[in-house]
Amino acid sequence: MNYFRKMRGTTTSPPRVSLSEIFWSWLGAFAGISLLAYLNYQVIKGTGWLLLTGSLGASALLIYGAIKAPFSQPRNLLGGHILSALIGVCAYKLLPGHLWLASGLAVATSIAVMHATRTAHPPGSATALIAVIGDETVHNLGFLFVIIPVAAGALILLLVALIINNIPASRRYPEYWF
Amino acid sequence: MTNRPTKDQGKGAPEISDADIVAAMREISGYLDITPGDFKEVYLLAFRHARERLLRRVTAREIMTRDVVRVRVDTPLREAAELLAQRGISGAPVVDDEGRVVGVISEKDFIRGLAPGVSSFMGVVADCLQEGCQALALRERQVADLMSSPAITVMEETPVLEIAGIFKEKGINRAPVLDSQGRLAGIVSRGDLLGLTVCPTGGAP
Repeated sequence: MNYFRKMRGTTTSPPRVSLSEIFWSWLGAFAGISLLAYLNYQVIKGTGWLLLTGSLGASALLIYGAIKAPFSQPRNLLGGHILSALIGVCAYKLLPGHLWLASGLAVATSIAVMHATRTAHPPGSATALIAVIGDETVHNLGFLFVIIPVAAGALILLLVALIINNIPASRRYPEYWF
Repeated sequence: MTNRPTKDQGKGAPEISDADIVAAMREISGYLDITPGDFKEVYLLAFRHARERLLRRVTAREIMTRDVVRVRVDTPLREAAELLAQRGISGAPVVDDEGRVVGVISEKDFIRGLAPGVSSFMGVVADCLQEGCQALALRERQVADLMSSPAITVMEETPVLEIAGIFKEKGINRAPVLDSQGRLAGIVSRGDLLGLTVCPTGGAP
């Protein structure tokens, strides 16, 4: 009985943020992702390289929209993406013919490693999964996937976060670096 | 988190509701990635840690009464009783010729002296009404005959958390405080500990 009672929840949802918070979150995400997409589609077109991955869009919510959260700090953003990318590429290379197993292993291991290294960043697990289920372009990059798009993309988003998040008086980023 | 903190975990913490926490979260600009329930749990546990830290940091020196009423081993009981009554206290340390604390004399000792085997004031009253008062028998005796000895003492550096434990364990209400040379520096009573309740509205020590 107690088991089912636990599914009912015990508390309320946090309050909605202010309009200015919504505005600055939007602006940061727009600047960061637009910059990455511009570089991706206009500058490095035809090189076979990438700068955009879906998981960086998830990171945008955290580092522009929830800037106080431990998940959103530089240690977590960079550590989470880089370690998870490494894990994802390894999983794909070890089990190329068993995508279902490689997928599960990549995501689960990325969570375990991020926890163990205090770098938990939810989009990191998406990065690990993309390394496995991504298209030809992703797979052709091999371990380069860790550097570009993942590390480079995260670093560019971080630079934009440092610039944009510290403009309004009511905001401050980061809470800590490492 | 399934087990929400009980009152016990944050003993002494001011009552705080989810609504208080939501109101506080609204005052902080920016999105806090924590539920009010989790925040409450952190708050209550942190409060307990803070309370213990303060109680460990506060020592006898900071709460003791320095102007100690003391009696000597050879003070007549008559005089000792008069002194305690005059000063409105229920006990005092007993010192020897060199000023060393050798015991404590209190209401409890007088009650025991007045009616052996009895432990309360009403017991003394009942005894007196039945068999007549034995108080006059104590008239010529001295403090040394009735005091509790040896004295249970604490040092100036003893944390109040420890003192509270000693009071409870030994069933006593006061303890003389000694300085590093072993001289009487003050006295702490249960009343002194009561003033310590760590509560934001009551002024922390």
